[in-house]
Amino acid sequence: MVELQGKTALVVGAGGLGGPAALALAGAGIGRLVLADAAPVEPADLVIAPLLAESDLGRPRGAALAGALARLFPGIDVSAPEQPLDAGSARDLLLGVHVAADATNHFPGMFQVNDAAVAAGVPMVHGALLGHTAQLLSVVPGATGCLRCLFEGPPPRPEPVLPEPDPLGPLAGLVGSLLGVEAVRLLEGKPGAYAGRLLVYEARSGWSRSVSVRPRPGCPACSARHAQGEGRAGGPP
Amino acid sequence: MSDADAEARFAGQALLPGFADAGLPRLRDARVHVVGAGPVAAPALLYLARAGVGTLYLDDGADVEPGDSGAWLYAPAQVGQSRLLAALEVLRAASCTVEVRPAASDTSATATLICARSEGVARTSAERARLAGLPHVVALGDAGGGEVISIPIGAPCFACASRPGARVQPRGGAAAAIGTLAALELLLLVAGAAPGQERGRRIALVEGRPGAEATARRPGCGCRLF
Repeated sequence: MVELQGKTALVVGAGGLGGPAALALAGAGIGRLVLADAAPVEPADLVIAPLLAESDLGRPRGAALAGALARLFPGIDVSAPEQPLDAGSARDLLLGVHVAADATNHFPGMFQVNDAAVAAGVPMVHGALLGHTAQLLSVVPGATGCLRCLFEGPPPRPEPVLPEPDPLGPLAGLVGSLLGVEAVRLLEGKPGAYAGRLLVYEARSGWSRSVSVRPRPGCPACSARHAQGEGRAGGPP
Repeated sequence: MSDADAEARFAGQALLPGFADAGLPRLRDARVHVVGAGPVAAPALLYLARAGVGTLYLDDGADVEPGDSGAWLYAPAQVGQSRLLAALEVLRAASCTVEVRPAASDTSATATLICARSEGVARTSAERARLAGLPHVVALGDAGGGEVISIPIGAPCFACASRPGARVQPRGGAAAAIGTLAALELLLLVAGAAPGQERGRRIALVEGRPGAEATARRPGCGCRLF
């Protein structure tokens, strides 16, 4: 078993996906956790993110989750930076990080985390939800394709015409837990269950499938990494 | 919480297919008996409490163990305390929409979730639920994964549907994955929201990948008759 005490994990998004992911990492003995989510806790968050409490309403989600983790894991080294996520802050957040978990469930955010992780050579696990459907993908820079190899970029219409349904809480819990377990796998140097393979799961049917994600020639994220000399392959030592 | 606040909180779920009309009221009327409050059950309990389920009956006679620390409900300082009492306190604080009580012999449950420590307890609990005419979901962890079996009324029983395994108790994120999958299956079953689930199904979680199959009755099993 690889010692995780000296490792740092970044979890971007501290709601329905980020909470279970952070718990899985903390339970596995990660040394340091960075929880990046400056958005305030809203009433709907309490349904899908049960680690957050009524008393957290209005607080930044990252700080609120850090408080919940401190109760369950006293002494854990956890920080919750409050700068809003953008391309620049994503790069800053990845400094000194060994693995990143994208739990933003937000199109612009997931591509910002993807691009910054690929550029920094840091392995990243992506999880997302839409209604009853979930997806997971691990990106190992230099070895697998990335989100931009598969989807190229966010969809052209960022604002939905109709309100999107919130996922069921336990589906968020399942995907967040799998996200955290996968991040631990990557930190331990094991082959990721979703490395280069996008898992799609539809909860009502129980149907799942995997899609191979290979590096795509012309992918702007991977090309930028090659142009800057392979980034910091594998992240920090 | 006022009705308007509750409606606003669950407005997003009300847009989900299967939950738009009767699904959420069915959850509100449900009384769920949960067997176990350990590392697999703890995340499930928390989600059920927050999902709008009306009543939860807790059923665990063990104390909080060192391995439970971090299992969503329990802090290290609670090791040695009654799991039941510790879970009651956390769950009652977690949601004002759910009533949380210890299970008793006269518990009037409408569904059962079984996250027992051993296969033997799971089998006994599942058989009790089946004979009582209750839809039930059984979760059995197995190291990094496990199985979750949905058993609506009249579907093949747990003994028909379960597959052999080493039954090594999962911990941490792996336990949470099985527990949350079990809570998800129970919500879908109670809400009547999953079209393929009404005949019974088994979801195996292997190497982080869930896969469902319809369950089938074993030749000679008497579960069709009772």
